[in-house]
Amino acid sequence: MSYDTIIELRKLLRHYQMGDETVKALDGVDLEIKRGEYVSLVGPSGSGKTTLFNLIGGLDKPTNGSVFIDGVDIAQLDAYELAWLRCRKIGYIFQTFNLIQVLTALENVALPTVFAGIPREEGLKKAEKILKSVGLGDRLQHRPLELSAGQQQRVAIARALANDPAILLADEPTGNLDLNTGMEIIDLLHGLNKTRGLTLVAATHDLKMIKASDRIIWLRDGQVEKVERG
Amino acid sequence: MSSVEEVHRVTFTVRDAIRLGIDYIKRRFQRTIINVSSIALANSFLSSLILTDLFFKTYSQLETTSLSVEAYQYWLVFVALIVSIVGITNAMLIAVYERYNEIGTMKCIGALDQHIMMLFLVESSIQGLSGGVIGYILGVLAALVSTGMTTGFDIILKVPISTILFYFVGTTLLSGILSVIASLYPAWRASKLRPVEALRYEL
Repeated sequence: MSYDTIIELRKLLRHYQMGDETVKALDGVDLEIKRGEYVSLVGPSGSGKTTLFNLIGGLDKPTNGSVFIDGVDIAQLDAYELAWLRCRKIGYIFQTFNLIQVLTALENVALPTVFAGIPREEGLKKAEKILKSVGLGDRLQHRPLELSAGQQQRVAIARALANDPAILLADEPTGNLDLNTGMEIIDLLHGLNKTRGLTLVAATHDLKMIKASDRIIWLRDGQVEKVERG
Repeated sequence: MSSVEEVHRVTFTVRDAIRLGIDYIKRRFQRTIINVSSIALANSFLSSLILTDLFFKTYSQLETTSLSVEAYQYWLVFVALIVSIVGITNAMLIAVYERYNEIGTMKCIGALDQHIMMLFLVESSIQGLSGGVIGYILGVLAALVSTGMTTGFDIILKVPISTILFYFVGTTLLSGILSVIASLYPAWRASKLRPVEALRYEL
C-alpha cells in the first residue's frame, strides 16, 4: 500500500543553541509533498533550506514536530531502520558531489548496493546500467578527479539512483556547475522525475531549476513564506 | 506503508570493509607508508632483540660461553612500541579529518556507525600486519648482522626454524593488534560523526 503523500511535515521546528542565543533555523513548517512531485525549496541563505533538506533526509533530528516519509514518523526509527531509509528510500545529491575519491565511478555508484545487501557482481552490473543511462557509459573506470564537474554530478545522481529510491533529495545540485552543464543536470533530474515518477525535492536558487518544478516553496526566516505553482 | 515483517537491514561485511580498505590504502599510499614504516620500525627493533637473544643462547649452548641481551634493551623496545602507537593514532586521526565528508556521505547511503568503525579498524589492521611482516624481516637481518661477527653468520641455520616461525607469527600478530588498538579512538570518533556535521565540514 502506498500513500499519495510521500513526505509530510508537521509543525516542524529546528532550533539551535548558539551561546545564549537560540537560532530558529526552522520555525513551524507544515508541508505535504505528493508522490512524483517536483518541488523546489527556495529562499535566501539562512532561510532554512538546508535545515529542511537535512530533516527530510533523516540527517538531522527536529527540535519539535514530525517528518513522515511514506506515513512513517522517522523520529520513531532506530539506527538500523534510519540507515535503511537513507539507503533504500532516499537518494541524496549534493552541491559538492561528495563522491568517494578512492573509488572509480562504477564503484561509487555500486557502493549503496553493498549496503543494501545486493551481491557484488549484481551491484556492479546495476551500477553500469545506471551510469550508461546518465550518459557515462565510457567513464566507468574513471575516478572522480579524472572527471569534469558535470560528469561528477552525473555519477552522484547515478549513485543516488542505485537502490531505486522513491525520493531524490538535492541540495543546490547546480551550485558548482557552469550554466550549460547546470542545464544538462536539470534536464536529467527533470527527466527522472517525469519518466520514473521519482519525487524530486531540490533546495536551490537556480532560476532554471525553479522554473522546471511543479511547485515552489518560498522559505524565509525558517517559515514558509508562500507556495507557488510552477 | 511497508509491512512490519519486511526486514529493514543494511549490510556491510568484513569482506566489503577489506575491499574498501585496500582501495584507501592504495590511493593514499603515502600516509600508509608512514603508518606501515612506524610499525615496521618498532617490530624490527623488537624482533632484532628477540633474535639476537636467540642467536646468543644457541651459540652459548654450542660453545659453552655466555652471551646475552641486556635487560635495559627491552625497555627501549617498549618505548619504541609506545612511540609507534602514538604515531599511528595521530596519523589515523588526520585520516578521519580528511575523510569527514566521505564518512558523512557513506552514512547517507546507508552506513551504520559500526560499519565506519569496522572500515577504519580493518584498514589499520592491514597496515599493522604488513608493517609487522616487513619489520620482522628487517629485525632478523639486523640481528644476524650484529651477532654474526661473534657467532658466525651460519648461526641462523643452527636455530630451529620452528622458533623463527613462531616469533614471526607472534610479532606480526602483535603489530596488527597494536595498530588496531592505536586506531580505536580515531575509528570511534569517525563512527560517531553525525552526517550533517560531516557533510558541512570544509577542509
